[in-house]
Parts: sequence; C-alpha cells; structure tokens
Amino acid sequence: MTRAIRDGTNALLFKLEAGNALAQTEAELLDNPVAGQPTLILRSPDFHSITEAVAEPVERRTPIGWWVFFIPSFALLALLGVAVSWLFWEGIGIWGLNVPVGWAWDITNFVFWVGIGHAGTLISAILFLFRQKWRTSINRSAEAMTIFAVMCALTFPGIHVGRVWVAYWMFPIPNQMSMWPNFRSPLLWDVFAVSVYGTVSVLFWYVGLIPDLATMRDRAKTRPRKLAYGFFALGWRGSVRQWHHYESAYLVLAALATPLVLSVHSVVSMDFAVSVLPGWHTTVFPPYFVAGAIFSGFAMVVTLMVISRTAFHLEHIITLRHFDYMAKIMLVTGSMVGYAYATEFFTAWYSGNPYEMFTFLNRAMGPYAWAYWIMVSCNVISPQIFWFKKPRTSIPILFVMSIVINIGMWFERFVIIVTSLHRDFLPSAWGYFRPTVWDVSCLLGSFGLFFTMFCLFARFLPIVATAEVKTVLPQADPHYESGPEREIKDHQAARPARGAPEPAPEGAS
Amino acid sequence: MPFDSLRALRAMPLVNQLPKGPYYGILAEFATPADLYHACERVRDAGFTRWDAHTPFPVHGLEGAMGLRRSPLPWIILVMGLTGAAFGFGLQWWVHASAYPLVISGKPFFSWPAFIPITFELGVLFAAFGAVFGMLGLNRLPMHYHPLFRSKVFERVTDDAFFISIESWDPRFDSSATGKLLESLGARSVELLES
Amino acid sequence: MTAERDHVALRPEQATIPPGHSWNRVPVIGVVCAVVGAVACAILGPSNPKQFFFSWLVSFLFFLSLTLGALFFVLIQYATQGGWGIVLRRIGETTFAMLPVMAALFVPVLLGLQDLYSWTVPGAAEHDALLRWKAPFLNVPFFLIRAALYFGIWSFIALLYYRGSRGQDATGDPAVSARLRRLAGPGIIVLALTQTFASIDWIMSLTPHWYSTIFGVYFFAGSFVAFIALLSVVAVAMRQAGLLDTVISPEHLHDLGKLLFAFTAFWAYIAFSQFFLIWYANLPEETIWYKARMQGSWLTVSLFVIMAGHFGVPFFYLMGYAVKRRGSTLALGGAWLLAMHFADLYWQVMPTLHPEGVRPSALDVAAFLVVGGCFVAAASWLMRRQALVPLRDPRLAESLAFENV
Repeated sequence: MTRAIRDGTNALLFKLEAGNALAQTEAELLDNPVAGQPTLILRSPDFHSITEAVAEPVERRTPIGWWVFFIPSFALLALLGVAVSWLFWEGIGIWGLNVPVGWAWDITNFVFWVGIGHAGTLISAILFLFRQKWRTSINRSAEAMTIFAVMCALTFPGIHVGRVWVAYWMFPIPNQMSMWPNFRSPLLWDVFAVSVYGTVSVLFWYVGLIPDLATMRDRAKTRPRKLAYGFFALGWRGSVRQWHHYESAYLVLAALATPLVLSVHSVVSMDFAVSVLPGWHTTVFPPYFVAGAIFSGFAMVVTLMVISRTAFHLEHIITLRHFDYMAKIMLVTGSMVGYAYATEFFTAWYSGNPYEMFTFLNRAMGPYAWAYWIMVSCNVISPQIFWFKKPRTSIPILFVMSIVINIGMWFERFVIIVTSLHRDFLPSAWGYFRPTVWDVSCLLGSFGLFFTMFCLFARFLPIVATAEVKTVLPQADPHYESGPEREIKDHQAARPARGAPEPAPEGAS
Repeated sequence: MPFDSLRALRAMPLVNQLPKGPYYGILAEFATPADLYHACERVRDAGFTRWDAHTPFPVHGLEGAMGLRRSPLPWIILVMGLTGAAFGFGLQWWVHASAYPLVISGKPFFSWPAFIPITFELGVLFAAFGAVFGMLGLNRLPMHYHPLFRSKVFERVTDDAFFISIESWDPRFDSSATGKLLESLGARSVELLES
Repeated sequence: MTAERDHVALRPEQATIPPGHSWNRVPVIGVVCAVVGAVACAILGPSNPKQFFFSWLVSFLFFLSLTLGALFFVLIQYATQGGWGIVLRRIGETTFAMLPVMAALFVPVLLGLQDLYSWTVPGAAEHDALLRWKAPFLNVPFFLIRAALYFGIWSFIALLYYRGSRGQDATGDPAVSARLRRLAGPGIIVLALTQTFASIDWIMSLTPHWYSTIFGVYFFAGSFVAFIALLSVVAVAMRQAGLLDTVISPEHLHDLGKLLFAFTAFWAYIAFSQFFLIWYANLPEETIWYKARMQGSWLTVSLFVIMAGHFGVPFFYLMGYAVKRRGSTLALGGAWLLAMHFADLYWQVMPTLHPEGVRPSALDVAAFLVVGGCFVAAASWLMRRQALVPLRDPRLAESLAFENV
C-alpha cells in the first residue's frame, strides 16, 4: 500500500516536474521576441512524431473522456430537438417575444453563433495571408468550429419565421404566386451571406483536410477505415504538381474568405443598421460587428483549445505562445469594440437627436441596465487584463476569460436588439421582454448541437492540420542545415546567455 | 490491387505515347526536404519531363526546383467570380425591375446599392467553386487508383517520406541508368515499379 | 550573443544618399514650390479668402493624412513584430516626423475658422437649436484646445518613435525595439481616438448638423491607403534612383502591392457602408451630406472618381501578380491612389463651399504647392541627414532576406 502511494506520488511529481519543465522551456522561449524566429512547436519533434501525436487519438478506442463530453452535449441536442418541435407545433408564442420586442433571444443567438464562426475563418484565411505560421496548430479546429457555429446560427432564422411550411420563401425562387423574395432586404442578404459563408467554410475546411485524410488512409489498420478515409481523400498522393495547384487554390480561397468574413457580419449588422431605430441605425455597425465577432470567436477557440490540447496531449503543438497571440488578438478586437461603444456614445450626444440620446441613457440606466453593465464589464473592462503577459499565458485565466468574453458578447447582442425595441419612439408602445423556458432551451440546445458536432469531429478526424504544422518545423525548409553546427545555433538563439550585458526584456506586456 | 483497365486508363498521361516496357516507372525515396530539393533540381536539369516529386506537405520553393509554371487557377477563379457577380446582379435587376416590380420603402425599382451585398456574395461563392473544383480538375482528382500506391514505402508519403517518381513514358527514361542517377542524388531507396 | 548583435547587416554607405546625388536637390525644389505657391496665394487669396481657406484645408488634410497613416503603419509594425517591413520603416518614420511641421501648417486653418466652419461664426447658434445643443463641444476655445492636444500627442508619439529608431542606428540596442514595441499598443489606441476626433472636428463639422459614427474609421482607411501608396511610390523611386536598390527587393514591392490592394478594398468597404446605410434609411438629417455630393457635377465626381477611380480601377489593376512586383507598375498604382485620396478629401470638403458643383480654382493648386512644398522640403532634408533604413535594427537581416510565399 505504502509502495503504491509512493509510486503514485513519484509519478505525479514526475508529471508535475515534466509539466513544469515544459512550462519553463515555453516561458523562456516566449521571451526575447527581438532575436530570431519564435519556436512554435516544442520538444523539437520530427515529422513522424507530429503525425503520431495527432492521428493516434483518432485511431485508438474511444476514451471515457470523450463520452464525458459527448453525452451531455447530445442530451442538450435532444433538448433542442424537443424545443424546436414544440415551437413548430405551437408557434412562436412559446417564446417570450411579443410586441414591441419582436426579436430577442432568437436573433441574439443567431448573431452570437455567426460571430463565433468568424474567428475560424480569420485564423484560416486572414492569418494565412499575413503569413502567421502559428495558425497551423489551431486552424483545423477553428475551421471546424466555424462550420458548426454556422450550423447553429442557421437554425435560428430557420425556426423563427413562424410559418415554417413557407420557409422556402427565403430562397431565390418564385413562390406559388410567382412572387420573388425581396432582394433589397437585409434579411435576404443574410440568407445568401450566411449560406455562402457556410459553403465556402466547408469547402475551405475540406480542401485543407484532403492531405490529412490521406495520412489517415495510409495509416488505417482496418478495411472500413481505409475505405472511408480513402474515399474522402480523393486519391491524394502528395504529388508536388498537385500541391502546386492546391497551394494556389488555398491562397485564393484565403483571399476570398477574408472579404467574405467581413461581408457576412456586415450584412448581419445591416439587419439592424438599415432600419431607422435609434441604437440600431448607425454607420459604424459593419466594422464594429466584425470586430466583435472576431473577439467572441477567438474566445470560443481558446475555450475549445484549452480542453482539446489537454485531452489529446497536444501541449507541445498548441503552446502557450499560441494562446499569447490569441489573447493579443482578443485585446485588439476588444479594444475596437470599446472604440465603437465610445464613438456611438459620443455621437448619440453630438447628434442632438433626443431619441438617440434616450436610447443610450436607457441602456445604461433603464430596465435592462443589468444586462448593459454585464456587457461593459465583460467586454471592455475584463479583457484589459490581457495587456499583461502573465494572464495571456496562464491557462486557467485564459479559460475563464474566454467564457466571460462570450457571455459579454452574447449580452452585447441582447442589449442592442432588445433595448432598441422595447422602448422606441412612442412611450405608449413600450414593453418589457422576459425569456421563457423555451428561449433558454433553444439557446442551451444550440450549445448542444455545437459541442456534439465538435465531439464527433474530434473523434473521427485529426484536430490539427498535420501537413501544415510540419511546414513550420525548421527541418521542413529545404535550405535547412542539419548537424552539430545547426544545433549550436539553435541553442544560442533559444537561450540568451545568463549574465549577458543587455538583459532580455521582461515584465509587463 | 487488381488491374482495372478503366481506372488505369485514367491514370495514364494524356500524351499518346506507349509505355516503354513492363514498368510504370522508378520511385526513389529521400530522407529530408533538403535532399529532395537538390535532387529535383538535378532531375530537372537532366531534362526529364514526365516525373514528379511527392511530399507529405508543400515544400517551399520546390515548384521552382522542378521547373513548374505558375498555376492557371487564378484565371479560372476570376472568370467564375465575375460570372457569379454578374449572375447575382442580373437576377436582382430582372426580378425587381422587370419580373415583379414592387415599390418597397420608396426605393426605385433599379436600386443598385441594395443589390451589392448579394452580388458580392454570389461572386465569392462562384469564385470559391472555381477554386475548389478547378483545383480538383487540374489535379485530376478524385483518382483513387494510381500505380504508385502499389509501393510499400510509398505509404509513408503522407507521413514523413519524400519521393521522386520518374515515369517510363519519359523519353530519357532507362530502367537501369535512371535508377543509378537517382541513387547518386542521395536517394535512400530506389524501386522499379511494375505497370 | 553580443558578437551577433554587433554584426551589422548593412554598411551605412549602402543606405544613405551619397553626396552629389540628384536627390540632394529635392529640398530646394520643395522650397521653390512652396515659395511659388505662397506668392500665388498672396496674389489670389485676398480677393477670395473663402476659396483660399478651403483649398488650404484640403491640401493640409492630404499631407496630414499621410503622416497619420505613416504613424499607424509603423506602430502596427512594432506591435505585431512584423519583420518584412523594417527596410521600409525609415520612410514611414521620416513621414511622421513631419507632424510638427503640419502643426505649423495648421495655422492658416485657424486664421480661416470663420470662413470654413459655419458654427464658429458668432451668432450662428442663435437661430439654430442643434448648434446650441452642440455648443459644449463645437465652440472655438475647446476646438483650439483639442487641436493643441492632437498635435501635442501626435508629435510626442512621432518624435518618441523617430528618436528611438534613429538612436538605434548608432547603438544597435535591442532594448529600444522592445520598449517601442511595448508602447505601440497604447500608442495605437491613443492615435485612433485622437484621429477620430480630429476628423470630426476638421471635416465632419464642416456640415455641423451631420454625423456618422464610422467617420473616424473612414478617415483612417483613406489615410492608410494613401500612406501605403506613398510608400510604394517612394520605395520604387529610391530603387530607380540607385538608392536602396540592393535593399528593397521585388518581394517588398509585392507586399506593398498586396497591402495597397487589401486596404483599397477595405476603404471601399468602409466608404460603401457609410453611404449605403444612410441611403437605405433615407433620414433627411443624414442624407444631406450625400445629397450635397450628388448634385450637379459632384455626381460625376462621386461616380467616376470616388467609386470607379478610388476603388474599381485600382482593385482590378492591383489584382495581378506581375503588376505588384514590378516597380513601374506598382508606382503607377500608388501615384493613382494618391491622386484619388486627394480627390476623396476634395470631395469631402469642397461641396460645403461649392454646393452647385465642382469649381476648380488656381488656389487649389497654389495651396497644394505651399503645403506640399514645405512637406517635401522638410522630409527630404531629413532624409539627407540620416540613414535610409534602420541600420542596426536587430531584425534588419530578416527584412533584407524576406521572401514572399
């Protein structure tokens, strides 16, 4: 018994020490950003160990941990099914919507999920265009997250129409009265924008997957797996002539996805901005919504990556440096959101428009003030913590902050939508919205859909883009010198000599 | 795998040349991207045309080392994108100014600013289709069968091994000399593949 | 490690204007232009003071936007630790080092306040409830304090970064880079806020009843495009003149071309967002600004210069791979966009003076010569006295070896 305890304690201490050693190496390598290229993948792996690290969790038997995440998610998905069925049967009245608040949680959830999707495309496309190599560790999961977020997003406009049996009126086809939809309406632009976004995201994700599916195919031990992966791998054989066209397609897809991301959330913002409602009609909405989307999306990526890297033992591929960069992006986009708040607030006064001014005062001090202040503290105040390096590289803080930020961003959409609707021009038309249990069920259920899909993705597909990660290893460079001279150079670059005349810069930021 | 004549036909080059004997070609394995890069330059300079390199990930600069021309894909994508945008704009114009004109919030029938979002989205959609299906077309994918898959070492091409394959269709191909050339370029292993 | 830091990637002779080089004469050319312009203004100005002040405002805003765009560019390079642009950074630093000069060139605007801004005219608020409401912000003393604040803050940041970078030429101290990097984040935030309010003060309040929350972003987008365009033109000109031709490569030009392309599209997105939302809601208090810019010949300007010229043409022109890599074609694109940016500012400002249509005036040219001449003279004079690249930036070698994917 004592021997078991001793062994167990030693094992734990060894693990902690190994973990500490890893953290120490990471911390050293995070510093001194001035000299040389940052080390993105730790423990100096070779190509094969990357393949092993990413593919092996997919190939072994389903671990208990996966079921721990999957079952509750699936239960929530079932809840969504129940809620939506009841919604179709009884009608929109089961939600808390009523005049004057005709849109509340339904559209809040729609904008929330579309926003989350945008970070995936930013990581895949925009960071690719900016040659940010660190994106390779997270882009596969981020793109998958985008697809699942768009799935959740599309649910809400689909179910909130009221008369679901004529939902096809949204499509660009004439209905039974030869009448076409109103292409001038932002609600229809949404249909196009979000479905194009979903389609392009799936295409981009799939194109990126092809080489990794080929890897899974070549490693498959059983015939069904070989056939399944092989079918979707399209016979990929790594031919450089094929890589040539592939790289061209990837670059252009990235170049297309970038304006697409901006346009999609701008179109979503136009659902509100083209109206005449105070608090809704303001020209800064398109870029402000895009910044907010990226902000909340990165928060969700952080949440998912904190869980995934531990679950799949990929801490050397998804490193603290990656979280450092993600936290900085959250800081930047959070500041953009704060800038928009400030400009809107100033202009509400500057405009001299009494309705505009009332809307902003009502937000801060009216019946929904509680929602407003949750929003401000989560979105503007709390992300300021990321000015400092320690919170940016502390996994517990990152995890908590990512959830706080998403809560704040959900409330931002809620505040924008409901405060402008519940008290607009005529006081006799004012009201107050309260959610019902079915509103809550739909929101929780959408998380169920999201996490169920992500669990399935993590179970059957490699969650890291192995081919892309290999390209960022130093040995992937055809001009890489191997051997003892290289090792000495690497060693010198990674560890600045102690007692050197100029100390490495440390401290805040 | 059994030799399926239809699939083999698809794997053959489009040039009307008969294979020079019972072989598909030679497959040489290399250890590192650097070795592969230098070998590719030499193979290119030796005048081979029907050959290819195979890597688990795209190696920077290898297209230059192989002497490949720039991909025509961007042009395909541009044409598709413009087609999509024109289609989107045309559809909206026709619907709102011709097929079923309605006065909505006082806007003119041909309200072109309001047509921009959908025009843009359809342009991007068609361009993306052009990119993906154009790329698959140029790469002749899906191609689930290829003679190279018969090689055991080739399984590692998607893991960590680098290859050069020279097809027997190439005018400079010789079943023994080509193999010796590849060995001299630093190949870890050289394999002659049956067709 | 110290030995590595001592290793200089470039010799000073490779990166300075050699004596006897034609570029040494540029300051004189600038001064001559300024004097010619000043004489023309002195002759033509007194008979048409309103026109003079408006023309001056447009030219002033054009060159100011170049300096602010430069400041954003350099701060973002520091904040993101971008390596590729280090060889180009000195051009940006020289540009924003002109901010104190711009402060001096702002004086004529102060002299013409009552001609430019209707709300500064005494008694303007008497019959205008909206102006009375805005008086706590739109009053001359606060306006002057704000202007002093903007220039003070901008000059402070500009000189901090300029001196830091110039100082590093001598010492090669990497702690300078680290310090400037740390300050870049807060710097960007301060710059964004001051620039927003400056654009509100100096452009938006020309039409005091009008407002737009995206206006600050619009000004930023335009000034960033203009600076990248300037950078492209100057980089190519330097290569043609035999300065830095071993330092700036087609790879750098390609990246500049990509940035130019991307930010042209971004500018169009912001400009369109502003227009579209105002058009769609059709509220009279907002549409007045666009209505003024769609009357008479302003409509032609809106369609062909702003839409087609500032977006349509450059978008398709800069798409091509080869165009971005060749100096002559990239510089042409850059020069075109600089002209378009000037037209954009002209289109934003002038309809207040000439609502009936475009009325080009010799004073437009004269004012441009004065402001531009001073700007070019001061900037080129500075260029002569310094290295053209940050000689001992620790990451210069990386920038020199930069290769596009």
